[in-house]
Amino acid sequence: MVIHYKCPNCGSDMAFDAESGALSCGNCGRQDNIEDFSDEFIETVFEEDEAKEYHCNNCGANIVTDADTTATSCSFCGAAVVLADRVSGILAPSLVIPFTISKRQAEEAFIKWCRKGLLTPRGFMSASRIKKITGIYVPFWLYDLKNEAKVHAVGTRVRTYSRGEYIYTETKYYDVYRDLRIDFSRVPVDASEKMDDKLMDKLEPYQYSDLKDFKTPYLAGYIAEKYNYDAKELFPRVKEKMNKPLDDFIRSTVSGYTSVRYKNKNITTKSRKSLYTMLPVWMVYYDYDQSEHIFAMNGQTGKVVGKPPLSKGKIAAWFGGIAGGSFLLMKIISFIVTGGGIL
Amino acid sequence: MKLLWKTSILFTFLFFLLISPALADVQRIYDHADLLTDEQVQELEKQAANYFEEWNTDFIIITTEDTNGKTIMKYMQDFTDELKDEFNRQEDNMAVITIDMDSRMVDIAGFGIAEKYIDDERIELILDHVTPYFSQGDYYKAFKLFFEKADEYLDIRPGVNPESVFFNTFFQLAVAVVLAAIIVFLMAYTSGGRVTVTSGTYLNRSSSRIISKRDRYLRKTVTRRKKPSANNNGGGGGFRGGGGGITGAGRSHSGGRRGF
Repeated sequence: MVIHYKCPNCGSDMAFDAESGALSCGNCGRQDNIEDFSDEFIETVFEEDEAKEYHCNNCGANIVTDADTTATSCSFCGAAVVLADRVSGILAPSLVIPFTISKRQAEEAFIKWCRKGLLTPRGFMSASRIKKITGIYVPFWLYDLKNEAKVHAVGTRVRTYSRGEYIYTETKYYDVYRDLRIDFSRVPVDASEKMDDKLMDKLEPYQYSDLKDFKTPYLAGYIAEKYNYDAKELFPRVKEKMNKPLDDFIRSTVSGYTSVRYKNKNITTKSRKSLYTMLPVWMVYYDYDQSEHIFAMNGQTGKVVGKPPLSKGKIAAWFGGIAGGSFLLMKIISFIVTGGGIL
Repeated sequence: MKLLWKTSILFTFLFFLLISPALADVQRIYDHADLLTDEQVQELEKQAANYFEEWNTDFIIITTEDTNGKTIMKYMQDFTDELKDEFNRQEDNMAVITIDMDSRMVDIAGFGIAEKYIDDERIELILDHVTPYFSQGDYYKAFKLFFEKADEYLDIRPGVNPESVFFNTFFQLAVAVVLAAIIVFLMAYTSGGRVTVTSGTYLNRSSSRIISKRDRYLRKTVTRRKKPSANNNGGGGGFRGGGGGITGAGRSHSGGRRGF
């Protein structure tokens, strides 16, 4: 099952336009609000079949996809297509944050980011070799977590005072107990096998005010993937991701002590809700120095992540500049402080 | 025209008045204990004369085997009171080092400018430098070192510790290199994008709360230690005494002394 979005005016293929947030026709310029667009989405549950063939409704060509793709474009006529059975049933996303950065804006933002790199080689900074820039809806699970924590600890308060010829150090020990309820909302975890987890984590945060109920037209014109791991499989990862925030919250409730030694933390984490959500990412493929560098850009906020190449010359220049500058500064301060006696 | 002549004559007169003491043959080294050879005395005299030109301060060396029953400080005070009258300077600036071979004491004192720039604390620093050479019997080297240190400290604003590690070039170099390494490392480390979510990003503040808490006092321990006594100068090194004083002629000075 393949979905095309045909322009009601002229019959051309329509695609999602990030700048206006509407389904747009590239031919006649018609724009349709997705919320109002008649839902042609057919709720048929297909069996997941990786060998299934899709045909473009326009030209009849085979649409070549791998098993995880849910939206792509026909490689022959370029029409935006959504593979309906891969976004329905249990694979139907609940929410989506649409792209707010268009391809053109993404390219500009990326070039700007390259120029800002203080250690990137000069040749890289021009960003003249962007090989490919692809808008991808990456599948995430957004977890609502409920934690119950029972914490036992020993806290000390230390006081020093002097009496007579002696200095006294008094240490008071306290038995500290906390029963806490700690909730986290919409913690994102990337559910695609292909995406690097570390890279995806750095793309956060997304602004949830733009969350929309999922509708297939949002995917038109972009690549989209389906999840490889379900919410249950990724639960350990979201738990691990929230370890530090949990600890920080616990620590914030134990205050007023000189030192705190935790005896045990009994934490039970339950997932109250997990929502299958499509989040927008621009992937930038860049050739530099005979190797490909991959960057990801948050399709909503424009934040760029990924390791740029480092220039040895620039590192040396910065190192020398900072070391020399601070040495000189210290010399000048000694000169002023000593009234010119020490240089 | 007449006025110009008069003023120029006056200035010439003033000029000679100012430099004449420097040109005069002044003795600044009084080696009564015979610790130095004649050549060494001459060399030190030459240096002291140079330092006087630079600082308008007399660098004085006094050695004796007999203080006539006076303390070394009193001996130095009486000796320099006489010297002051002899020099008859407009400003009474002296940096004086006195050696008593009888009690094996070294005393350093500063008058005038030197009282301000070579204060009690700095005298302790100089004593730290020179006392070992006196103990070894290397008097010439010790006196030369005294001159160098006095010269160095006269150039450093009072109240600043001249031996502070922060003025040490190697220390400054090390700080600069470490600082640059840390900054450049952080620059390289964050070049791939930083994590900008914090512990509070996904926290639901409205429902997260303390359900119950308890802070129960268990017990206390008390340890005590003796207060370090205020006039403990670290001990060792024989006699020590700090501080300046006022001479019989009413001249105030900084000072410090030590056995060697």
